[in-house]
Amino acid sequence: MSDWRFTARQLAKNPLSLTGVIIIAIFIIIAIFAPLIAPTPAGQLNSYMIPRDGYWAEPEPPSAAHILGTTQGQYDIFYGVVWGARSAFRVALVVMSITLLIGIVLGSLAGYFGGVLDEVLMRITDIFLAFPWLILAMALVVVLGPGLKSVMIALIVVWWPSYARLIRGDILQVREEDYVEAARGLGASSGRVIIRHVLPNAIYPALIMASLDIGAVVLSAAALSFLGLGAPEGYADWGQMTQFAQNWIVGPLDNPLKYWYAVIIPGLFILFFVLGWNLLGDAFRDIFDPRLARR
Amino acid sequence: MELRSYIIRRVLLLIPVLLGVTLFIFGIAMLFPPAQRATLYVTNMRQLSDLPAIIQKYGLDKPFFVQYGTWLNQVLHGNLGWSRAISMPVAQAIPHLLPATLELAIFAVPLIVLVGIFLGTKAATHKDKPLDHGTRVVAILGWSLPSFWLGLVLMMIFYGYFSGLLPPGRLGVQMDILVDSVGFARYTHINTIDAILNLNGPVLLDALRHLILPVMTLSVINMAFIMRLMRSSMLEALGKGYILTARAKGLAEKVVVNKHARRNALIPVITVSGYLFAGLASGAVITETIFSFKGIGWWAWQAAVMLDIPSVLAFALFTATLFVVINLLVDILYTRVDPRVRLGGAVQ
Amino acid sequence: MEDLVRIRDLTVRFHTYEGVVYAIDDLDLDIRQGETLGIVGETGSGKTMTALAILRLIPYPGKIESGSIVLFDRSLPGGLELLKLSEDKMRSIRGCKISMVFQEPGSALNPVYTIGDQISEVYLLHQRQELGRQAKRRIDSLLGNGSTLAASIKRPFWRWQSRLYNKIAEGSNPLEPRILSHIPLFRRLLWRLKDEAGLLTVSMLKDVEIPDPDRVATLYPHNLSGGMKQRAVIAMALACSPELLIADEPTTSLDVTIQAQMLELFRRIKTDKGASVLFITHNLGVAAEVCDRVAVMYAGRLCEVAGVEEMFLHPLHPYTKALLEAVPMPGKELQTIPGVLADALNPPPGCRFHPRCSSAMPMCQQERPKLKEITKDHMVACYLF
Repeated sequence: MSDWRFTARQLAKNPLSLTGVIIIAIFIIIAIFAPLIAPTPAGQLNSYMIPRDGYWAEPEPPSAAHILGTTQGQYDIFYGVVWGARSAFRVALVVMSITLLIGIVLGSLAGYFGGVLDEVLMRITDIFLAFPWLILAMALVVVLGPGLKSVMIALIVVWWPSYARLIRGDILQVREEDYVEAARGLGASSGRVIIRHVLPNAIYPALIMASLDIGAVVLSAAALSFLGLGAPEGYADWGQMTQFAQNWIVGPLDNPLKYWYAVIIPGLFILFFVLGWNLLGDAFRDIFDPRLARR
Repeated sequence: MELRSYIIRRVLLLIPVLLGVTLFIFGIAMLFPPAQRATLYVTNMRQLSDLPAIIQKYGLDKPFFVQYGTWLNQVLHGNLGWSRAISMPVAQAIPHLLPATLELAIFAVPLIVLVGIFLGTKAATHKDKPLDHGTRVVAILGWSLPSFWLGLVLMMIFYGYFSGLLPPGRLGVQMDILVDSVGFARYTHINTIDAILNLNGPVLLDALRHLILPVMTLSVINMAFIMRLMRSSMLEALGKGYILTARAKGLAEKVVVNKHARRNALIPVITVSGYLFAGLASGAVITETIFSFKGIGWWAWQAAVMLDIPSVLAFALFTATLFVVINLLVDILYTRVDPRVRLGGAVQ
Repeated sequence: MEDLVRIRDLTVRFHTYEGVVYAIDDLDLDIRQGETLGIVGETGSGKTMTALAILRLIPYPGKIESGSIVLFDRSLPGGLELLKLSEDKMRSIRGCKISMVFQEPGSALNPVYTIGDQISEVYLLHQRQELGRQAKRRIDSLLGNGSTLAASIKRPFWRWQSRLYNKIAEGSNPLEPRILSHIPLFRRLLWRLKDEAGLLTVSMLKDVEIPDPDRVATLYPHNLSGGMKQRAVIAMALACSPELLIADEPTTSLDVTIQAQMLELFRRIKTDKGASVLFITHNLGVAAEVCDRVAVMYAGRLCEVAGVEEMFLHPLHPYTKALLEAVPMPGKELQTIPGVLADALNPPPGCRFHPRCSSAMPMCQQERPKLKEITKDHMVACYLF
């Protein structure tokens, strides 16, 4: 598709989107090379648990042994944020792919066949969409018990209705296009028409949205972890690490910002991660919106 | 006439959605064993001491729809169960805690809307100039901020570094005692309003002082969103033919922008504002938790951590209902604001 | 006939990402008083830009680089150089002395305001003093007649209003309504002005032959058909009895039957109002119907100007001839003009039309031909003459 190349070129021209791409690339590198950048101590089975250098509560400032310091309970911050990147991508990819899958299947069935099926789907999504996302996610995690798996399931439940609707809308549009009628006229079965003709064209916008929502997914997962409903204590998760920092926002009177590293660093990683995706998303929106095209 | 029938129709459509919501919530509740569900029906802590009797009384071992019926019936009668998180009946908890959240909303919503619209308009009218680029960067940054982190950092600076300048909680210790005393008349339980009504300056100032950080945390992210939306909406409106007509009529640029463009640009912003509420409701949980601002968001978090099912469910039910109602109001407002749209028909 | 508008050496350039485009290149054109001058040309010929240049509404990234546009108003001996006017003064001319009608009536009207509101806006803007005078007259008659209890209570209020409107009639902008109008409740302070404007609006709607004008004024643009919308836009343009009405392809987006009615309306405007009309179109048939003189433009330059009959009977410029040849006729094979439109970024040197011209000569590539008067009132820019 020459579409991709044109898009890529537009992205490269815009300094904001270029920054976004670079940021995302950096995170991908961190995530992939996590075992090299922050090696798991020998003997530790679960790489996603942050190694502890002691058991006392007070965070230690950055030092030679711990480049970014330690947070409450002596968990190494550097290890945490590096493997946190991996964890973030893991959560985001799992949630996004399953959400897309459900959205595509249900959305295309509803959109293509219409009628009662469509109505039912719309009502069901109405019910799901009636809840503010955090509240629905919280309720589900309460039921399923805290943990990253529950968070992922909760996020899938929160996100699938929007995607089902999005794909349904696209399918409705594409369905009326001439080449679909042509295919039908030539005797293609419904399934064949959907898969070979309708879907490829309808999915493109949804894929774009999905990749851009990755930032939002990570943000939501971090929020849930922060509230104590997500990753378990000591897990390499940015939100979870921020929760540790809650007790250390204010230091002693003579040095109130004493524990800044515990508070600022994990959150900064979240911020940059989401920023990268949002910059990309903003650039995409500018590219695909013909009305805002520059002369 | 037509508007009335539209409203009636929409309200009627509301009922199946709300029923669906209750069914969904109840379905989630049913995933718990009967013992834990007992608190859904009690209003008095002492009743919990006799579980088998409760299970018997409310039929907690009966089939799904029978239980749903029982539960729905008592919900409609006002019994939402017992909240372990704050030790009072849920039905009491909501009005007890709602004023705090309302107070946040009263300050946050106008701030979000007014600042967002103002900056968005400015960004559009100064397109591609430094102001536009500046606001764009600020908006994307604001939109990317984790709200919980923002809250913590703000507290770190304004409560930690500036020792106690803007503290968490709703009121300082002294004021807290004062507002519950006999000398202070409680009308709304919203501290700022009550303070004004009581003509009590110190309480008002203290309340405002405690409000600044939570309101900021709640607002910044949504402000960024509205700003970007307003900007693109304004740009779209400014590109339309009627703007050229307005200029050709000899109207001053200010009039063209404010009277002709903005009125059209506000329309999509209004429709989105319903979803803004959903963002606020979610944001309130985090914000209230961080700042120990005891509103319903804080309560929801307490309940979630303690596995206090009735509270979580009641909160979900409450916010969902509110959200649906607000969306209906926004839809109706939309028909007033855009002459092309009437009833529930398609836009011409 | 005297000139109303004299355009000399007008150059408008667009500085785009890809390069500089000469939308209008050294244009000389006269619009005479009381005449309907047509500008004919293909897309990109610069006809719309000429109209926008007169009103100084060229959109970014375009700019009027050089030239002069002089408006000869009866009240202004010596003429008014439009390109040197301050923005304030220019705004008083827009919509008042010179007004414009656009191609798409659907998008020319603001969907959230009523037709009446949008037309009244012109009166409120440009004829405020006259409206003030009328409003004062009405209040004064109320003051004279009122003898009931209600009247005597309202009396002081009326007297104050009368003074207000008097001030407006004299041209000053009184302070009280300016301040008070910012408070929602008091915004209706000058409602009598709006009422007077409304009356004028309805009479204007009647003038452009819109049926049931009182009701139509309360309707929104989407309630009207295309033809009605265009009439409303014309009413808006004619509100202040302009000296020059610019119409940019006003009939192009309408049905053919409505088109005929619209052209009749334009003919009436000429005779009733005595205004000059600059009629822009790409349709030669329409030009023939409505115009007194016709100017043909190509690639930002003027090719030929002549009286309408003269132009159609004795076209001189090869482009004009080709255009006339290209008009479809039953029984005749469809003629086209060979070649493609001049590239806006890299136009052909010399005469812009020479690559497509069957009579092109070597000197056509060298220098641009100047506009010369060949027969009475018939000018051409071509080396054939």
